[in-house]
Amino acid sequence: MKLEGTNTLPASVETVWKTINDPDALRSCTPGLKELKATGPDTYQATLQIGIAAVKGTYAGTLSISDKRAPTHYKITLEGTGGAGFMKGEGSVDLEAQGSGTLLKWTGDLQVGGLIAGVGQRMLGGVGKMLIGQFFKCLEERLGGSA
Amino acid sequence: MSTRYTGARITRNEDPALLCGRGLFVDDIHLPRLAHAAVLRSPHAHARIVRIDTRRARAAGGVLAALTHADLGALGGPLPRLIPHPALVHHKTQQALASTAVRYVGEAVALIVAESRYAAEDALDLVDVEYAPLPAAVRLEDAAAPGAPLVHEDAGTNVCARYTQRVGDVERAFAGAPRRFRDRLVMDRGTASPLEARGVVAAWDPRARLLEIWDSTQAPIPIRNGLAAMFGLPQTSVRVVAPDVGGGFGPKVMMFYPEEILVPLAAQRLGRPVKWIEDRREHFVATNQEREQIHDAEIALDETGRILGVRTVFLYDAGAYCPYGLIVPIVAGTTLPGPYRVPNYHCEFTAVFTNKTPVSPYRGAGRPHGVFVMERLLDRAARDLGIDRAEIRRRNLIQPDEFPYDVGLIYQDNAPVQYDSGDYPRCLGRAAEMIGYADWRAQQDTYRAAGRYLGLGVACYVEGTGIGPYEGCRVTVEPSGKVFIATGVGTQGQGHLTAFAQIVADHLGVTPRDVTVRTGDTAAFGWGTGTFASRAAVVAGTAVSLAAEAVREKTRIVAATLLEARPDEIELADGKVFVRGVPARALPLGEVAAAANPLRFAMPREWESPGLEATRYFAPPRGTFSNGVHACIVEIDPETGMLSLHRYVIVHDCGRVLNPLIVEGQIHGGVAQGLGGAFWEKLVYDAEGQPLTTTFMDYLLPTAADLPCFEVGHETTPTPLNPLGVKGAGEAGVIPVGAAIAQAVEDALRPFRVRITEMPLSPARVWELVAEARRSA
Repeated sequence: MKLEGTNTLPASVETVWKTINDPDALRSCTPGLKELKATGPDTYQATLQIGIAAVKGTYAGTLSISDKRAPTHYKITLEGTGGAGFMKGEGSVDLEAQGSGTLLKWTGDLQVGGLIAGVGQRMLGGVGKMLIGQFFKCLEERLGGSA
Repeated sequence: MSTRYTGARITRNEDPALLCGRGLFVDDIHLPRLAHAAVLRSPHAHARIVRIDTRRARAAGGVLAALTHADLGALGGPLPRLIPHPALVHHKTQQALASTAVRYVGEAVALIVAESRYAAEDALDLVDVEYAPLPAAVRLEDAAAPGAPLVHEDAGTNVCARYTQRVGDVERAFAGAPRRFRDRLVMDRGTASPLEARGVVAAWDPRARLLEIWDSTQAPIPIRNGLAAMFGLPQTSVRVVAPDVGGGFGPKVMMFYPEEILVPLAAQRLGRPVKWIEDRREHFVATNQEREQIHDAEIALDETGRILGVRTVFLYDAGAYCPYGLIVPIVAGTTLPGPYRVPNYHCEFTAVFTNKTPVSPYRGAGRPHGVFVMERLLDRAARDLGIDRAEIRRRNLIQPDEFPYDVGLIYQDNAPVQYDSGDYPRCLGRAAEMIGYADWRAQQDTYRAAGRYLGLGVACYVEGTGIGPYEGCRVTVEPSGKVFIATGVGTQGQGHLTAFAQIVADHLGVTPRDVTVRTGDTAAFGWGTGTFASRAAVVAGTAVSLAAEAVREKTRIVAATLLEARPDEIELADGKVFVRGVPARALPLGEVAAAANPLRFAMPREWESPGLEATRYFAPPRGTFSNGVHACIVEIDPETGMLSLHRYVIVHDCGRVLNPLIVEGQIHGGVAQGLGGAFWEKLVYDAEGQPLTTTFMDYLLPTAADLPCFEVGHETTPTPLNPLGVKGAGEAGVIPVGAAIAQAVEDALRPFRVRITEMPLSPARVWELVAEARRSA
């Protein structure tokens, strides 16, 4: 399932770049993230808890950041498995100065399998968008914008 | 025999218990110290298993065992291959638990046994499995194409079989034909959705060395025989009981599903009885499915609409494994010619592995496909030749004086497709009359003038039923005068406890309520193959009749001694045995039974064996062919695509009817299932092979509210192939429904020139077709 979107953030490209590379910011802004432990440079062990429809799943997996071109681009890869099946996601983030703020463009490709796919697939697009929306809203707040 | 009960519309012996909640289903089996199992299933359509670690699961509270492939020993090999075929080059079956790879979402990977199902399910989350996902072959056409991801690496191809059957000279017929029409016809996946999903309870008694299994299966005897071989036990040391079964419809006739081996194994290892009940979500991925085929079909006719030849080249989706061989595509190809004279016919199929749940027969088992293709071709020809659609059918029907009619094909039982009897024109005529075909156009115009879109569909079929190899029955008169009979053919709701009792009642002069029928218990009767292919009434019913007849003769011999008369003077009626014309010289049947089992003194030699008991078998040389015609009137709302069913008429001929109430029930259920498969039910997989319809929120079953009152007309042309004259009726209802609905929808939407070439439809799909038609108009 492919998702994409844009957000305007009230800070310079450099500040936004720093924030989206800050494990602390990622930890507090990623919805459902229970644990984020650095296991190497730009590699984290993550535990995510996500519920869709009647199904709640805890996924244990890895999150890694690659293809970094500071301060405008990186790729983020997420892989997790749990009782509700597996999820595999790949996304990219591109930053562009826009006035005093930053235009953040993101794309994502999410694959899920097992229980969540069977029961929640129809809702997945909507839920995915909502979760990503929550993530950026949180970033915006951290960067001092009005929510 | 008199026919007081056989043929009568009597209510069913099994219903009081079933309707009052006193049935005994597998989940009703409660044993002391019962443990509960849950199955860990693959979330991937295709992946390599890198590593499985059950340590955390085993350490969890209440967990008794965690089995993976490594624990299975000799039981870890591929499960038995049923029904091999020379054309089936790659006969792949799954392992009870996957060892190195998983090939569909839902494939069993580990079994957890715990003190409760709750604990077992929780422990599933604690099994660590590392998968290396592989590309999946999902869409049937893609899987068949060169370069597709391979479901079975070692096969080197996804094609497991290619098979061709031919009648006459098709090339010549097509070359010389004045008119030819060609279509691509697509049928998608569905699932049988029985009320009761699968379930297994197993108990091992180490002192008696007895393995007892309660299994929601259609084939308890083959399961018993297979388990005995696998567990190295004498067949008499394994008892398999199929108690009340809440619907089978074909998918429960597997030998084996993994759980049928894993649960007994766990019970034996733990020394405790173990229960596994499939939940609905599991059922959507772990119980066999059916129906996906793509036909490229063509028909050749002369200008008057007479069929000169038909050919179809089709793809058949086998799913990830093909335990059941090629039965479904063979049935599809051999059902296709139907009630029509098709002098030249070419049928060629390619069976293809995909990374989806395995396929095995589901009610109809290929027949709906064959009928859909033939009827769609005739509809196309009728329209383009300007011939009325009932008339083009009439012109091609095999006539009543042409039986036995040899179609020229080889059926699923490896015997020739030879229609034994029937009156096809009469069935079509009666259906047309019942639905009001003659003035349909006038009716339709009236509706259309009012802005409503109604359509009529009419479709014919012939159904192969009642195939061998054999079934048997033992009939015993108890000293109480009640009769006990046992047969290997289990019941999943078909009414065996009544239909068989009716046959016995007439032979022995008792009432059906006096006859207790035991089915599906290997300890009660150990020979048989199972309930499938619309064969119980034909094959087991005849065995019941032969055994009851033998008991009647024995009763006469014994009573002749007791009543001092000749055996041919003895009659049986009203639970009594008496000398003809002298009803005062009578004995209760039970007294004769008691006398037939003396405690002392010599037993007369002519009695041959003690008791009033006989066992008989019936082995038909080939199947018998039922037939019928469905006609329906539907309304389509072109703005929403929604369909409503106004009328549904069924005229069918299953030979002599044992109990019209039961046959009508079978027809009603079948048509409902057919309508589901025609308009509501569809299994959807995403591009990675993830099933997206695994709840009844997404997989829509028709409910009573969606269905009209069915109007049934019985025609009865007895078959000469068995003494009862009966033909099968179990699958009939489902067979022509897709074809009839397609034609009716097309007829309703004639102003839009919509063409239907696929099954199932849905409101969304009908809406799309109307929108496309509007755009191109």
